[in-house]
Amino acid sequence: MAANAGNKIRNAKLVLLGDVGTGKSSLVLRFVKGQFVEFQESTIGAAFFSQTLAVNDETVKFEIWDTAGQERYHSLAPMYYRGAAAAIVVYDITNAASFTKAKKWVQELQAQGNPNTIMALAGNKADLLEARQVTADEAKAYAQENGLFFMETSAKTAINVNDVFYEIAKKLLQGQQVQNPQGGMVLNQRPTERTVSASSCCS
Amino acid sequence: MGSHPPSSRTALEPLATLDPAALAGLPPSSPLTVRAAALSGHLLYLGTGGGKLLLFSLHDEEAASPDFLRLLPIGATLPVSAIIPLPSVARILVLAQGILLLADPLLSRPVRRLGSLRNVSAVAAHATADPSSPSCSVAVAVGKKLLRVDLELRDGDELDVQTREIAAPVDDVKALAWVGDSVFVATAMGYSLFSSGDGQGVDIFTVPESSDQPRVKPLSGGEEVMLLVDNVGVVVGTFGQPVGSSLVFNTTPHCIAEVFPYVVVAGDSKVDVYRRRNGAHLQTIPFARSGPGVLIVASDDDGRGKELLVIATAYKRNYLACQVFCYRKVSAVEQIKASLRRKNYKEAISLLEEFETDGEISKDMISFVHAQLGFLLFFDLRFEDAVNHFLLSETLQPSEIFPFIMRDPNRWSDLVPRKRYWGLHPPPKPLEEVIDDGLVTIQQALFLKKAGVDTVVDEDFLSNPPSRADLLELAIRNIIRFLCASRMKNLSFPEMEGVDTLLMYLYRALDLVDDMEKLASSQNSCIVDELESLLDDSGHLRTLAFLYGSKGMCSKALAIWRVLARNYGAGLWKDLSENGSDEISIDKKSSEGIAAIEASKILKTSSDEELILEHLGWIADIDQELAIAVLTSDMRGKQLSPEKVIASVDSEKVVIHQRYLQWLIEDQSCDDSHYHTSYALLLAQSAMKAVHMEAKYGGKDDKEIDSDVQFIYSLRDRLQLFLQASDLYDPEEVLDVIAESELWLEKAILYRKMGQENIVLQILALKLEDSEAAEQYCAEIGRDDAYIQLLGLYLDPQNGKEPMFTAAVRLLHNHGKSLDPLQVLEVLLLHQY
Repeated sequence: MAANAGNKIRNAKLVLLGDVGTGKSSLVLRFVKGQFVEFQESTIGAAFFSQTLAVNDETVKFEIWDTAGQERYHSLAPMYYRGAAAAIVVYDITNAASFTKAKKWVQELQAQGNPNTIMALAGNKADLLEARQVTADEAKAYAQENGLFFMETSAKTAINVNDVFYEIAKKLLQGQQVQNPQGGMVLNQRPTERTVSASSCCS
Repeated sequence: MGSHPPSSRTALEPLATLDPAALAGLPPSSPLTVRAAALSGHLLYLGTGGGKLLLFSLHDEEAASPDFLRLLPIGATLPVSAIIPLPSVARILVLAQGILLLADPLLSRPVRRLGSLRNVSAVAAHATADPSSPSCSVAVAVGKKLLRVDLELRDGDELDVQTREIAAPVDDVKALAWVGDSVFVATAMGYSLFSSGDGQGVDIFTVPESSDQPRVKPLSGGEEVMLLVDNVGVVVGTFGQPVGSSLVFNTTPHCIAEVFPYVVVAGDSKVDVYRRRNGAHLQTIPFARSGPGVLIVASDDDGRGKELLVIATAYKRNYLACQVFCYRKVSAVEQIKASLRRKNYKEAISLLEEFETDGEISKDMISFVHAQLGFLLFFDLRFEDAVNHFLLSETLQPSEIFPFIMRDPNRWSDLVPRKRYWGLHPPPKPLEEVIDDGLVTIQQALFLKKAGVDTVVDEDFLSNPPSRADLLELAIRNIIRFLCASRMKNLSFPEMEGVDTLLMYLYRALDLVDDMEKLASSQNSCIVDELESLLDDSGHLRTLAFLYGSKGMCSKALAIWRVLARNYGAGLWKDLSENGSDEISIDKKSSEGIAAIEASKILKTSSDEELILEHLGWIADIDQELAIAVLTSDMRGKQLSPEKVIASVDSEKVVIHQRYLQWLIEDQSCDDSHYHTSYALLLAQSAMKAVHMEAKYGGKDDKEIDSDVQFIYSLRDRLQLFLQASDLYDPEEVLDVIAESELWLEKAILYRKMGQENIVLQILALKLEDSEAAEQYCAEIGRDDAYIQLLGLYLDPQNGKEPMFTAAVRLLHNHGKSLDPLQVLEVLLLHQY
């Protein structure tokens, strides 16, 4: 997990979206601090974290925006996904409604977001198999149709959590090599540049 | 976030309370309702619902109560809704009943209206305006228009005013903020920003339905803006991009002020203080609510006097005038000190980290606090934590710790700086006493706990009282850790001496023999006087020897090594150490050997001839190679006198003599014929002895024979080489020694040196039957008669030997052409051929 000191660090804005109680904050807590709390408080507004991840000889510094799942704060979401290099849309495999909500987030991102944003679909709480309401096949099929990459995760047992971020980092680095630099902000060398490009998105 | 436990922290402390109406001398019959407040430096402006502006001067000193300066009525029908100090143009901007008014900073002149604007719903000054420039700009929302008003101060206190439209139309503006090039606009719908340059606008986000009044608050000196949604503060940068986690407040804020690094939020009946960086709730200032109205908080946004906050209660208390409370930021140092007074180390450490991140505490003070924490923890017997903090302090001098180790007065007493710190801990004293006192405190706490009284003693100690011995060891180990780390620092010489000496002292206390010897044998600043009797008494003789050695006290060091070697040799080594268990596994031989090795190390660099020769004997008895290394060392400044060396080395120790002479001759290019002769004689004697031994014990198995033969060969090789190479020895003396031996080649070499050609040829041709060598010798002589002489020897070997025709024919075949035929014939005839 620790980044190599010597190589270049690439900043990447990453946003987590999804229904309330799907485990967005838990996924971030697991990824950033390696911790899990049984009763994670509901996020209000948004929480910010950063974490670096080494992929081969490169390092990605994720600037993670963990948004509130409550409908009341939905209107804040565009501010957080605007200019994001990657988005993880999270649903709870034990809650079919959260999967429906996830699809809505995907639609919103497709309609409003940056077309270059790498989107991941995470079916969280994969440890609660007996309560499963959304099959992996269903989610997988949906992900394939919509060009997302999909993983079932468990913040509680840590299954696939780092893998989701690692996959995103890999895709970011791959994408960057072939991507048209004019194609919007995906990765930037310095945070200041991020600020500038974020502003260009707003204005 | 939002779930932080209630904090007992005092980030802001009361400074003064003022009753504005009373101070202004207004009769109780005309109460004031404060609607707006502003701070500019130490000037406090209040605006009332009855259209009055009041000015007070605040003082930093706690005792001094605020002074009333002026009351300026602006019109009874003009309730004040905002006061914005504009220090760069020496004006106060007042929003009252939708119109903008300008007043001078001391309210000494009547207010003047700014333009002809009506229905102004919100106004904001440019937060990042250059304070040194005599101009400023304000953004004004009027109806659906968003205007920019540029004010410039001219000579004679005249103000030049330019107004232009930034953007239109914007409906129902509730609040404004202007940072950088962006004017942030809050409407009932949500938040957007407009470029103050080109008026380009962008929506930041919409607010959920039934949200409270939207508010915008510039933070961090105009680099960020907080946008409120319900009780959530979303912090965005100057371009509207989110920066950092949202702040979640306990109540929906009515009014927000920033006293860096805190954000102060006024709610219905209380004011809450949060840490800006992480939104942690720090302090609640409650107000008894006794009537309608809201709390107003204000600080100086412009930077100066950022220490102050005013809280104005708009409530009418019992129909009396409202009150204003002034608060002052409690310095980082005072807050930490308060935690330490309560022995709340965890809180103090977290405060320290917090202030460090916020840049609210100087580097030196951080070091000071770490040292202070260290001392407090030390007296609380939490030695590991204490030393961790000592190590984090860059200003703590190692000598400050010395009094814990050695009782005053001592050699270093004057070195210990008299730092007072915060007077929260007693002066350092020997750690045995610290521990004894600490144990008494724990006992008392246990007693009190049984009686149901809370104490500040560590719970771990109460549930599991430590033993004195364990504590002592823990303390010593941790001080050792501290002293070891201190050694790496750039210390004054006397302090370094203290560190090393006391380190040795502590190692000894725990009998850490390896560490003692490592320290003693490496470069160190130990004071020998302080340690020698201690080490001697406790039997740490090796350490003492190393120490003497490293301090150049060679004679003493060697004396110990000699004693140690003798004791090891005599089997007395077991009694040497109090804790001999480690030593038992060490082989006696090797212990003896180590003593000799260490002694030889000292001697190799010493030029003290007498000392070297005094100790050479016992070293040689253990290991001749070491003795040789001592004698032949090139690390000493002045070489030893060969005469004395040879005279003093035991004559029985031939190898030492031989190797020393070899070194003298080969390495030191000694050309004294006496030593050359001695060397040749020694080599010759060795060779003869070897040959003799070989002859005597010839019947061994093959392998041994091989190695013996090899040994003899190498000895003889060396002898032959030397005899050939050196011209300085006396060949006759050598010849005397080997005369009776079978060392014929050596003899040939010697005779050759003596010019006895005939004998040489005889030996080569007849004894060794090496006709090639003989012919070669003739060639070296270079005269024909040598060949003739050789031919003669071949033809008549004498002693009953048969003539050596083959060799003779070979000689003639090889050299016949060059020889005088007559002489050849003569020889042949002489021998009757």
